[in-house]
Amino acid sequence: MITRRRRKLVGVLLRTLVGSMTVISVMALVCIVVVMVTKGGAMLTWEFLSQPSRAFGAEGGIRSQIAGTLILAMGAGLLSLPIALGTALYQSEYLTPQLKSVAMRFVYALNGVPTILFGLFGYLVFGLYLGFGISWVSGALILAMMILPTLVVSIREAIDAIPHQYREAGLALGMSTAQLIRAVIVPQSVHGIITGLLLGLVRATGETAAIVFTATTFSGVDFPRSLDEPVTTLQTHILLLSQEAVHPSATDAVWGAALMLMILVLCFSMGALMVRSRFRVEV
Amino acid sequence: MGHSSDTAFVLKDVSLFFGSVPILTDVNFAIRSTGITSIIGPSGSGKSTLLRTLNRLNDHHPTFRCTGSVRYRGTDIYANGNGSVDVARLRQDIGMLFQKPCLFPTSIYENVLFGLKRLKLRPRSEFPGIVETTLRAVFLWDEVKDRMKHPANELSQGQQQRLSLARALACEPEVLLLDEPTASLDPKSTQAIESLIRELGNRLTVILVTHRLEQAKRLSETVIFLSDGCVCEWGGVDDIFTCPSKEITQQYLAGHPP
Repeated sequence: MITRRRRKLVGVLLRTLVGSMTVISVMALVCIVVVMVTKGGAMLTWEFLSQPSRAFGAEGGIRSQIAGTLILAMGAGLLSLPIALGTALYQSEYLTPQLKSVAMRFVYALNGVPTILFGLFGYLVFGLYLGFGISWVSGALILAMMILPTLVVSIREAIDAIPHQYREAGLALGMSTAQLIRAVIVPQSVHGIITGLLLGLVRATGETAAIVFTATTFSGVDFPRSLDEPVTTLQTHILLLSQEAVHPSATDAVWGAALMLMILVLCFSMGALMVRSRFRVEV
Repeated sequence: MGHSSDTAFVLKDVSLFFGSVPILTDVNFAIRSTGITSIIGPSGSGKSTLLRTLNRLNDHHPTFRCTGSVRYRGTDIYANGNGSVDVARLRQDIGMLFQKPCLFPTSIYENVLFGLKRLKLRPRSEFPGIVETTLRAVFLWDEVKDRMKHPANELSQGQQQRLSLARALACEPEVLLLDEPTASLDPKSTQAIESLIRELGNRLTVILVTHRLEQAKRLSETVIFLSDGCVCEWGGVDDIFTCPSKEITQQYLAGHPP
């Protein structure tokens, strides 16, 4: 009887403990959202979103920063997508299980490289060696490298989830591997490709260290007109103003930019979740 | 063992392995160009593995190995380390139907054309005619002619299996491998599929793996009995079912599997 009561008590304690952990996890996001909305909500007016920044952030808005962030993220996505798709298809369709495992270890290892090292590498290789300088192209290239693992893993998961019967049915009809990829594998992995792309955009949108080295400047740019022009981004805007701005309007602008950045990231994340959940329902 | 025009497959001293585990050893038999051959035997005796050896569908299993000679219309399809045979072309000749119907998540119409379209075997202008012909051949036309654009997964299991068969037939195979095609079907659908198999056996090489002895007896002219990792006996359906030469075959047919 005592044992039973004790078992019940341990069960209740454990449930309370893991429940508290869950609440902490959820609250972390809720707190960030609440602080951002409280501090920056009032800033999100059409004028703030549509005007360029002036007077070291004290006047104007964040039009150029939004554009720069989106240009870098989209550029990275477009550059990374074909490479990630090719990598995932080659791994799943042509490599032996042993080599697949080795290749995936490399992909995971790439994911673990500190972002500051990506920035340094991008600056040296794309900026100096290839001559792109500090430009949006250098930034998009280095971000493309950074989000590659996210895309590869997402596409691989989608390919691995394709029912084995589809593959066999295609092969039994006389399809070559290339035809199977076109007719079965890629169409059945579209959700994984889109999810991976959106998650990659989330990561690219949030990245700061790597692009500070390779792609951004604080002011003096709006939309890049050539490949070797830098951009200004929400991330660098927040970083610099929060450290160096003294004018109260500039501090408000930091919160406005932060909220905008969070909205962009949440949009991409929600998009990824919607694509994933829609696929689950169809299966 | 030479090739004669009325022989589709000749297997000589064939052994099949997954890794170091032998599945079947010393398999020797020949299959005629037309007619129905059934492969029977207890579960795990290697029926499906043997069937999938004939269109090299075991190839994508990394540890699969085949020794000996598997000749299809005179060509050893496993010769020279697998490199000299166009496997995709071979599989176009050898259609296959699986135990469970496997349709792609698209319309009925697109499912019939799935292989034909990708393999570019016929001009697009012929597609509607081919769809009607093949669906009529599998007795499905009247049931689906008004809903060709509907998702194929709306069909019943039996209809799905007939649609899978139509998809295979649209590619005009010379051989049809059937891996327990009625195992997941109700009696009415089974009857429909059996009628089809019987009809197809008049013009194609049909090789049927089945657990149902009565089905093998009803449909086939030749029977191959597998047990204990080898071909125990093969021959005409009457010989095997009425006077099997081996005791192990007698026991199996009498419902006392070894």
